[in-house]
Amino acid sequence: MGKQLISYVVFGIISGAPIFAHHGTSVTYQTDKTLTMTGIVTEFSFSYPHPQLYFDVKDADGNVQHWGSEFGPTPLMMKNMNLGWTRDSIKPGDTVTITCNPHRVPGSTACLAKELIINGKKLPMGGGRPPTQGKE
Amino acid sequence: MRQRLAISVISAGVFFSPLLFAQTASKEKTAKDQTGAFDPHDLSGKWNRVSPFQTYSNVPGGANELQAYILGQAPAPQKLDVETAEAPFTAEGKAKFDKNIPSYGRRITAPMLGNDPQAMCDPWGVPRMLNGQVAGPHATIEMVQLPDRMFTFSQWHHDYRVVWTDGRQLPKLDEVEPRWNGYSVGKWEGNTFVVNSLGFDERTWLDHNGYPHTDQMRLEERYRRLDADTLELVETITDPQYYSKPFRSDTKIWKLDREGGKTWDEQIYCVPSEEFKFNKLIRDGNVGK
Repeated sequence: MGKQLISYVVFGIISGAPIFAHHGTSVTYQTDKTLTMTGIVTEFSFSYPHPQLYFDVKDADGNVQHWGSEFGPTPLMMKNMNLGWTRDSIKPGDTVTITCNPHRVPGSTACLAKELIINGKKLPMGGGRPPTQGKE
Repeated sequence: MRQRLAISVISAGVFFSPLLFAQTASKEKTAKDQTGAFDPHDLSGKWNRVSPFQTYSNVPGGANELQAYILGQAPAPQKLDVETAEAPFTAEGKAKFDKNIPSYGRRITAPMLGNDPQAMCDPWGVPRMLNGQVAGPHATIEMVQLPDRMFTFSQWHHDYRVVWTDGRQLPKLDEVEPRWNGYSVGKWEGNTFVVNSLGFDERTWLDHNGYPHTDQMRLEERYRRLDADTLELVETITDPQYYSKPFRSDTKIWKLDREGGKTWDEQIYCVPSEEFKFNKLIRDGNVGK
């Protein structure tokens, strides 16, 4: 394969804990590593089993690589977290800066979202506040 | 052979966990309602499983290491001591178990390399419906009693099973066609609701760790309502082809979710058009290929 299309930063270990989800997240992603990149949203699929964000990342030479990232919770779980944003908060064409755990498959462009910035605004992914049970 | 398993619990990284939703905001209500009167023959309600094993039985690697922390029953990090015992496999049962490749437990494997039937949106079936790896209110069960039957609804896969309570006898094994949830009849023995089932489709697993069964399996479930908010369940399967003796589950404890029962209806269908796209692009890592 030719040029490295993106540059990313691999941080230190942030968590060795398994992430429980129904798709075996802890063995799908390198949860001890993160990468951060900026791109343009092509699709936000707020659907089951987990919401997915698809985006294009361009390097300095203009080469584009298509990426996808999943969010751990289900859509209704995310809504119930009272995160302050909705399924309409991310649209194609938006600029996304994402920090995520890379996939274990070498060369894969899928990752598990950890932090999300859309058009310069950070969108909480949950974590600071427990969900309010039963509300929608 | 029994062994002692000490599990280290690490709190970091749990915030994307579905299990986080088991954090019971209704804890205060539960405590209050435990003093209330209840009918031991009424099992109706939405029940969240709180006991540590998210597998059929107390098999090694079957405990949810985070459950106690998530439920607010213990600080994290902490040690959770649980007693485990491997299933009494026959040689054929062990060989089948080895062919089932799960994405959980001690044999955890990336889903793209595994063969968990749920990845194809196959029904969980019974008893996996009772032993699922996700906790309430995200995915749990609701029981509804009618004069002649009891329904158990599962949020996960939006499924239900029927237990006939009209006094009919359990048919003979060769009289029923195997099906996902089997054929079940229930009756009260004192304050214990006893459900006997047979006629299971052997494609299902007992739990997410991949414990197998044949279509000759018989299942007994024994439910007891211990107080207004607590339900106990013990399952036993008899399946001589795969297990050398009756295989008993751990004692599963469920708590009544009064608030979630009124409001939580996630409708978690497994939709092939959504699931397969997710599997291909995200789970299997093929987004840009």
